Amino acid sequence: MALNFQNNGPTRTGWAPIALALVLSLACVGVYSAEGDGGPLHRIQAVVEGAIVPLQLAGSPLGAAADEAQQTAGDSDASEETLSALRDANEQMTQTFVQGEEYRLQAQRLMALLNLRDAYEIEGPTGRVIGRSTDAWNQDVTLDVGSNQGVESGLTVVGPTGVVGQVISVSGNSCRVRLLTDPQSGAAAMIQSSRAEGIVRGSLDGLLYLENISADVNVQVGDVVLTSGLGGSYTRGLLIGTVARVEGSAGNASRRIVVAPNGSVSLMEEAMVVFSAASDAVDRSAPSVPAAEDGGQEADDSGDSGDSGEGASEDDGSEGASSDQASSDASDERSDNEGGDE
Amino acid sequence: MELSRENVLGVVGALVAVLLQVIIAPAITLFAAVPNFIAVYCVVRAVACPAQSGVLLPFVLGLLFDLIGGGPVGAMAFVLVLVTFFSSRLYEALNNDTLFMPAAILLVSIMLVETLYGLMAVATGAGVPFGEAFLYRALPCMLYDCVIALLFYPIAVRVLGERPLGQPGTALLR
Repeated sequence: MALNFQNNGPTRTGWAPIALALVLSLACVGVYSAEGDGGPLHRIQAVVEGAIVPLQLAGSPLGAAADEAQQTAGDSDASEETLSALRDANEQMTQTFVQGEEYRLQAQRLMALLNLRDAYEIEGPTGRVIGRSTDAWNQDVTLDVGSNQGVESGLTVVGPTGVVGQVISVSGNSCRVRLLTDPQSGAAAMIQSSRAEGIVRGSLDGLLYLENISADVNVQVGDVVLTSGLGGSYTRGLLIGTVARVEGSAGNASRRIVVAPNGSVSLMEEAMVVFSAASDAVDRSAPSVPAAEDGGQEADDSGDSGDSGEGASEDDGSEGASSDQASSDASDERSDNEGGDE
Repeated sequence: MELSRENVLGVVGALVAVLLQVIIAPAITLFAAVPNFIAVYCVVRAVACPAQSGVLLPFVLGLLFDLIGGGPVGAMAFVLVLVTFFSSRLYEALNNDTLFMPAAILLVSIMLVETLYGLMAVATGAGVPFGEAFLYRALPCMLYDCVIALLFYPIAVRVLGERPLGQPGTALLR
């Protein structure tokens, strides 16, 4: 292929502005990496995140429509007869029940959250998911509760079926939650049956890995994994998920333990920020999920939730009685007060 | 900056790209690949109208991307300034009035953007090895972005470009 090198003349931009912009960008990256979460660039980022919340709200219906389109695509291999019969039935039912169904599902989700709140005596505000990550490199969601409701950076966030992540930035009426599945997140965790402690980390492939478990600990598929509270980054004793796969055997230091989250975050619409939880939450059984019993949308996607619930029930009341660990940093005062009451 | 038609269109396009990134992109995620409308716009503009492609727009849009996305602030600005500069220069040097050359430069530039950003994300503490980051994030995202860029390029040439597309030797009609 002949290339026709043309003399179009140089572009208007010289080297100096380019160099200046590159140096400025690198300086920003350096400052951002070096400064803490309270640094100026992090604060500006939090302000911008707060400012775009209304725009993300506007995009929420689009997300629902996209999910619906994906579901429709998945159903496209059904026969035409089945589809037409379903369409007829659906038309009749939809008009009558769509509104009621929406309320029922919402009540169900909130009930699951309330169950979790009751089971673990969780204190904290419940927020609606109003935005999701705008890029591929961060797994996070935005909730419509913020510093005005007392939310602070570092607090644990739970969904209807267990821990989903941690607050990383807060603005007036919204907060950004880094999900457990994000590679940058790491939660101190323990296996409920053996009390072995490790760290649950997210990964780019969307799985959770339980790391730093002693090589001599026997880990079984189905073991329930809870937050251990070590380091104070996550509130102690909240359900993370269940062991789904163990690659390698006990005694093998390089074994990989895959943890299945106890629910699908992509379908989550509400979540609760945890100010404090019961001090003996680690020894309580995980609450059952109403959606799973009812065959709701969540149940379709969270096949593991049933397992985890059973696993948790089996381990209910197992040995434990570990010492009271600090819950989240920001809720130290509340935890202390509770500890005092006890 | 003079208030020319090209500049005004450039700013309007940038606003549209930001809105698409905030509102549309999270809703059309495919297997963890989120389209990067901002990067696509900058690269497409650099190729569609290389003479108008300055430093300011990629820098500001890159910063905005970092601020709304939660990544390291300045990383995307750095990558976009670098890549759009070289893609505009490359296009001016290699343009032979066929569709192949801009398409090839577009694809290479998009790949460079995602790869460099992946490198910077890993370097600033993404917590994963680069191989994994490339496989699970950069590669799916660059494929997604390439498709969007190829769809968007003809529109951008029509709206932002200085001359219409044509085969070599074809007289230009204005």
